[in-house]
Amino acid sequence: MSAFSTGLSSKLAIISAIVILPLNSAIAEDPTVNRMIASQCAQCHGTKGYARGSIPDLGGDEAKDQADHLLDMKGEDRAEDMMDHQALGYTDDQIRRIAQYYSTLPESGDD
Amino acid sequence: MSLTRRNFIQMVPASAAALALTNGSSAKAAEPIHHVTVLGGGFAGCTIAKYIRMWSDGEIAVTLIEPRPKHVSSIMSNLILNKRLKVADLSFEYNDLQLKYGVNVVRDKALQINGPEKLLKLKGAGWISYDSLVVAAGIKFDKISGLDYKKIPHAWIAGGQSNKLRNQINNMPDTGTFVMTVPKAPYRCPPGPYERACVVADILGRRSGYLDGTGSTPPRVIVLDANDGIQAEKGTFTRAFNDLYGDIIEYIPNAQVESVDSDDKIVYTTDGMNYQGDVVNVIPTHHAPQVLKKSKLTGDSGWADVDPVTYATTNTLFQDVYVIGDAQGTNQPKSGHMANAQAKICADSIIRTAHGQSSYTEERLQNITTNSACFSPITYDKASWLTAVYSYNPDTGSMGLVPGSLGEAHNWSTGNFNDMFDWSNNLFADTFK
Repeated sequence: MSAFSTGLSSKLAIISAIVILPLNSAIAEDPTVNRMIASQCAQCHGTKGYARGSIPDLGGDEAKDQADHLLDMKGEDRAEDMMDHQALGYTDDQIRRIAQYYSTLPESGDD
Repeated sequence: MSLTRRNFIQMVPASAAALALTNGSSAKAAEPIHHVTVLGGGFAGCTIAKYIRMWSDGEIAVTLIEPRPKHVSSIMSNLILNKRLKVADLSFEYNDLQLKYGVNVVRDKALQINGPEKLLKLKGAGWISYDSLVVAAGIKFDKISGLDYKKIPHAWIAGGQSNKLRNQINNMPDTGTFVMTVPKAPYRCPPGPYERACVVADILGRRSGYLDGTGSTPPRVIVLDANDGIQAEKGTFTRAFNDLYGDIIEYIPNAQVESVDSDDKIVYTTDGMNYQGDVVNVIPTHHAPQVLKKSKLTGDSGWADVDPVTYATTNTLFQDVYVIGDAQGTNQPKSGHMANAQAKICADSIIRTAHGQSSYTEERLQNITTNSACFSPITYDKASWLTAVYSYNPDTGSMGLVPGSLGEAHNWSTGNFNDMFDWSNNLFADTFK
């Protein structure tokens, strides 16, 4: 049990570091660079993050959830789906920037 | 006849400017800080026109020059051949660009660019000036001796040619021979010719009954590839050619077209062979269009060399001239999806330039990416897919494939076939709507 607790607190410490660092670095970020990277998702996910058909919407999603989702895809042992390969195309920082951009868009709206 | 930029802007309908903006104010529209002229209303041209208007909040005026009243997407156009789609399903007018985004759309044809003078010659309006010029004019086929497109359709620029090829396939014998050619790379849509071979093999294989065992004689689909091997989705197409259509498709690499007999439907190759078909589909090797060649913006490769940080031509006599889409000469695949991707990088750069900002900040250079995704129909209701991400390498000054990002479907499926429509509908919307 104590081992579990230690492990958990270590994980929390790492998560905190991950969360805090981007918040700090985001202050100095050029938002148009984030917009430029994120626009590369719009071919499939819609100009403003609202996709037609079965492709997931991105607009208004929590930045951390979206980034974690992409990082999970990137971390697959064997890339299977199209999005596994797409996620491998971006650095962790770029993934964070993409997620940050879409989190600022409204949750619903026109495409 | 010579027009100034101001005169030229006044030529276009006032309604476009008046109805202009998505986010900006009409005051901004009245006095744009910059004027961008875009040549070509395909995937590259429409994307950049839309995104410059949207991202600049209407501060930058955009005029799109296109000789045709609408664009017919070549993406998905192999599905015209098997009648899953019609040309009308893939046709996009420019109403949304005009009304939603305030793009001035002018029907005219560009003939030549005078870089040092920053002038553009149009067939109708004569010489006009520009602040920035984006050339997104697609491709031009190389000439092939004896080739008459009225008899031997290319169907590689979708529209009437697609219908012509569909009708020829419709009227050919069920167990007849279809001969097609694959152009020398780089060409538009790397998986497209192999996809077409599969679609036609499926059409004829079903019609003859060979694929379901009710017919004993296979039709023939002869694929003459100018390259030394399959250029995209190699795993998928190798399996489709060898297994699914093993008795139908005959794949012949290193077969370059020398000439064509358009009446007797014969393709002559440079190695002395000839191939006659009931229907012949020659997709010629292609290069950048005439307006770039005539303006001396193409290099030895026949494509326009550009800096992928901005998509500005590397010809320093041509300031503020950009080339995006199929005509540009970087190593990125030539596709509508990729043209859309490049347009956004170029749009961002032009907006920076209009505001006196650099496109070469360290932060931006580290984050220039483009990507490609596409689906290929393999049968009447099954498809595969292909995807890749490209990233700018500041050390080499070029775009490179990101390791691990290149992938293709493990198999063709109905799920992929359905996804193909979602993908294309979203791509069409991001580009034209």
